[in-house]
Amino acid sequence: MIITPYQSRFREGSYRFTDLLHAEWTKFRTVRGWIIGVVVGALVVAAFAFVTGQQGSCNVSACTGPLGPGGEQVSDSFYFVHQPLTGNGSITARVTSLTGQVPTLTQGPGMRPGLVPWAKAGIIIKASTTPGSAYAAMMVTGSHGVRMQDDFTQDVAGLPGAVSATTPRWLRLTRSGDTVTGYDSADGTHWTRVDTVTLAGLPSTAQVGLFATSPGFLQTSLGEASASGGPSTATGVFDKIDLTWSGGSWAGTDVGGGGGGPTPGFTQTASTFSITGSGDIAPSVSSSGGVTIAETLVGTFAGLIVLVVVGAMFMTAEYRRRLIATTLIAAPRRGHVLAAKAVVTGVVSFVAGLVGAGLAVLLGQRVLRDDGVYLFPADALTQVRVIVGTAAVLALSAVIALAIGVILRRGVGAVAAAVVVIVLPYLLTVTAPILPIGLNDWLLRVTPTSAFAVQQTLIQYPQVDNTYSASYGYYPLSPWAGLAVLCAWTALALGLAAYLLRRRDA
Amino acid sequence: MIEVSELRKRFGPVLALDGMSFTVEPGQVTGLVGPNGAGKSTTMRVILGLDAPDAGTALIGGQPYRSLRRPLTHVGALLDAAALQPSRSARNHLLWLAHSQGLTAKRVDEVVGLSGLETAVRRKAGGYSLGMRQRLGIAAALLGDPPVLMLDEPFNGMDPEGIIWMREFLRSLAAEGRAVMVSSHLMGELQDTADHVIVVGRGRVIADASVTELIARVSGGQVLVRTTMLDRAMRVLNGAGAQVAATGPNTLAVTGARPDQVTTLLSRNAVHFSEVSAHRATLEDAYMDLTRDAVEFRAGLSEHVR
Amino acid sequence: MRHAPLETQLPLGTRYTETGHTLHAEWTKARTAGGTFWLLLGVIVATVALGAVVSAATKCSSATCGQDPAKVSLAGLYLGQAVVAVTAVLAIGGEYGTGMILVTLTAVPRRSTMLAAKAAILTGSLLVAATIAVLGSVLAGRLLLPGNGFTTAHGYQLLSLTDGPYLRAAVGSVLYLVLIGLLGLGIATAIRDSAVAVGVVLGLLYLFPVLEAAVSSSSWHRHLEQISPMTAGLAVQATSSLASSPISPWAGLGVLAAWAAGALLVGALVLRLRDA
Repeated sequence: MIITPYQSRFREGSYRFTDLLHAEWTKFRTVRGWIIGVVVGALVVAAFAFVTGQQGSCNVSACTGPLGPGGEQVSDSFYFVHQPLTGNGSITARVTSLTGQVPTLTQGPGMRPGLVPWAKAGIIIKASTTPGSAYAAMMVTGSHGVRMQDDFTQDVAGLPGAVSATTPRWLRLTRSGDTVTGYDSADGTHWTRVDTVTLAGLPSTAQVGLFATSPGFLQTSLGEASASGGPSTATGVFDKIDLTWSGGSWAGTDVGGGGGGPTPGFTQTASTFSITGSGDIAPSVSSSGGVTIAETLVGTFAGLIVLVVVGAMFMTAEYRRRLIATTLIAAPRRGHVLAAKAVVTGVVSFVAGLVGAGLAVLLGQRVLRDDGVYLFPADALTQVRVIVGTAAVLALSAVIALAIGVILRRGVGAVAAAVVVIVLPYLLTVTAPILPIGLNDWLLRVTPTSAFAVQQTLIQYPQVDNTYSASYGYYPLSPWAGLAVLCAWTALALGLAAYLLRRRDA
Repeated sequence: MIEVSELRKRFGPVLALDGMSFTVEPGQVTGLVGPNGAGKSTTMRVILGLDAPDAGTALIGGQPYRSLRRPLTHVGALLDAAALQPSRSARNHLLWLAHSQGLTAKRVDEVVGLSGLETAVRRKAGGYSLGMRQRLGIAAALLGDPPVLMLDEPFNGMDPEGIIWMREFLRSLAAEGRAVMVSSHLMGELQDTADHVIVVGRGRVIADASVTELIARVSGGQVLVRTTMLDRAMRVLNGAGAQVAATGPNTLAVTGARPDQVTTLLSRNAVHFSEVSAHRATLEDAYMDLTRDAVEFRAGLSEHVR
Repeated sequence: MRHAPLETQLPLGTRYTETGHTLHAEWTKARTAGGTFWLLLGVIVATVALGAVVSAATKCSSATCGQDPAKVSLAGLYLGQAVVAVTAVLAIGGEYGTGMILVTLTAVPRRSTMLAAKAAILTGSLLVAATIAVLGSVLAGRLLLPGNGFTTAHGYQLLSLTDGPYLRAAVGSVLYLVLIGLLGLGIATAIRDSAVAVGVVLGLLYLFPVLEAAVSSSSWHRHLEQISPMTAGLAVQATSSLASSPISPWAGLGVLAAWAAGALLVGALVLRLRDA
């Protein structure tokens, strides 16, 4: 008997990866528990934004500090001895001494002699005495030598070394229209140009003169886990002041309401001025109080753990029920199966993260402000980056859990491993910094936790001393660099998973 | 068509496959029988690309499984009916399988109709009984309308009505020209379902022949006698030169005499009997015989029937 | 031939209670499961490894460095507790996963007895593993810390278990790990799915500190620290600056014990009231 071999009605058509994707998506959406898990994950991320338990005493107008010409939050307080300058002109002065006082802190109340590294005294051309207005300044500092700074964020080094009666410093600022050029000299004869800057929109009548200020004193211990400090003051002594225009009388103004230190002011003896001030002319940093947007995303970790559980189970459920055999019979190209699962897990988690983080950031800000908490401003682009970055971290974490699920084949192990690898370093470095700075830094550059840098909104400024540690919102890596580290870890885990999936018997 | 050649596979100290070779032809139901541990499931897993053999090849229509595109349109397999996510409905299980081959929900509903699960298909798979899971497994195997079907112990857990349905179903699939391979150790079932049988033991093929040939080999022409006068019947038959063995309190197995001769002998000697019948061997007898005399028989029969 | 009923075949005088049998069964289960030994070994390795790393990396440069050598040398608990959580969850979650719970509950229908026996065996195994782990951490700290500036010049004695507060820190750390195990067992009994249960346990442990760091209001902050299982529990390790610790050492461990007891209670209720 001749048998005609049967042919499948569906034999036409070729293999498509999108079929695998479709199948994996169907697999995912038809288990109610996993859908619930994803929804809970998103909700949990959002929910914590409303229960941060923060309390503050700001209402919007009272707490918002001045903004510099670039739009950033700034501190602008110093003691200003000034007179007006209309049109072009130049000011020269010699600084013969810079001394200061710092709080005694643990040894009791009161002040003792001491100079903070970024204490400043020098000459300045400023648009007006309004805090946040444009300026250019030549100054001597506590331990960073002569500097030229302008518009809060710019800083250029001049002559190094401390200033004293035997090693005085001569400073000069020359204004020509909007352009200001700074010069320094050690002897008053040989001048070096330090920098030329343009202060956009400098009014024809600007305030020019001498100033002194001193930022807050910071003492850290326990690997920057604990910081204490207080206001400090600096006193600069100026003489040989020379103006190229017919000057008038000097006025003394405590710009910005002072930095909290005692007795700002100036004294004038013949042609020698002694000016004492406290505060800083610099961008604001976190130690001045307030929170960043990352505060609204406290729930990221809770959501992360939920999504890690879902991601791990999406894989390990197949191993537990021997469903893996059915999956691999339907799709023998095992690398593609893993890819399809990773895509479904990643996309679903990303969307959940977008929703959760979006709600948290947008609504959480309002809650914080209503509670009177001071929130460091962040522009729209930064906020978008924080939201999208957080969603990406959640998605990559779920995919890592999926990959570990292939490697270990047990759900318990996959969840525990993923949480330990991603959350524990964060705990050790950011929330409960028990590790010394070196190890802290290394962990935040190398482990998956570095990806939480996407949530940082504050910029580190070298010309401002601060505890630039992760617990205050400063990460060693830039946001996208941190995310790239997590991407690398995910790729590594997936690579190992693909290798094992191919090699092992099902 | 499935072609398996010289498969070898070791799991640690256990040699599961030791030179397994056979062919499954289209248009008939081929039974794969053997004791537990003979390598039936391992062979199927190797064919399906789940386990990699240490040596040898397994081809579906001339191609290795892992190179098949849309494999479920080439082979439909039921390996483990319990391989289901308990919280997913049966219909959704079939749905994702269909999607993986580019098929639609319409096809899912077709195979659901074929396997008789219409009323239960939207329930969670975790609540299914054994028999329902088997039907679901058959449905999954048929999704791609494949020309080759491989089923591991499909009769397990089926009630009598289900067994009859399964038997008719498998035979009809074979009659369409498909190659159907069924592994089982329920010989009675296989006897009525399979046309061809491959007997395996200790990782290799012992016999590869049609059912009728195997049974004919082992029949041996025994006669069964049912009587209450055991001792007298034995004396009479022994005296006539036949070999007699008691197989129960009221039954005898007689070798070396035809049924009519036995009847005549017993009646002439006033031995009352209630039954004289020619013993027809079953597939089970053939199987027990084969796996007992494994080595000698393999050489003889396997040459004969190729 | 009639067989004598089974009861009279047992030797007289050997009377085991049901609890004794249950305990024996749980012990046999635990010691013959392949993974138990490796998991307990993992607890030891994880704790000692992290403790050694932290001890090696933490330096004290002056007498006012403010470091607590007990907290430094015993920091391995942050990692060790994760392995303990896995071990505890698997002790009962594994039975639900494989379906063996049906066998267990038909052999021991008194469900609370079964849970108590499991808890007892888990406690015993963890006590042994945790003791080894803590001793290893102490040894590592003893070897590594003096080289990093934890010397008498800076006001630090060589780590020794004869020192009262340090002994308390070490013993408390052993008990901490055991209590984490009981917490995990309770949660896994209630939740039944191992993966979800371990997620809940690790979430409870690791999420409280994250929340604490985010809360600025000092009264809220302090309250959170006092009720958090990990933060309060680890307070038992403090040997210096005790005034700044949110809760006193033994009270902190008591908070963790309360969490563990609560989890076991919920687990026992779920076990009793639900179908297996």
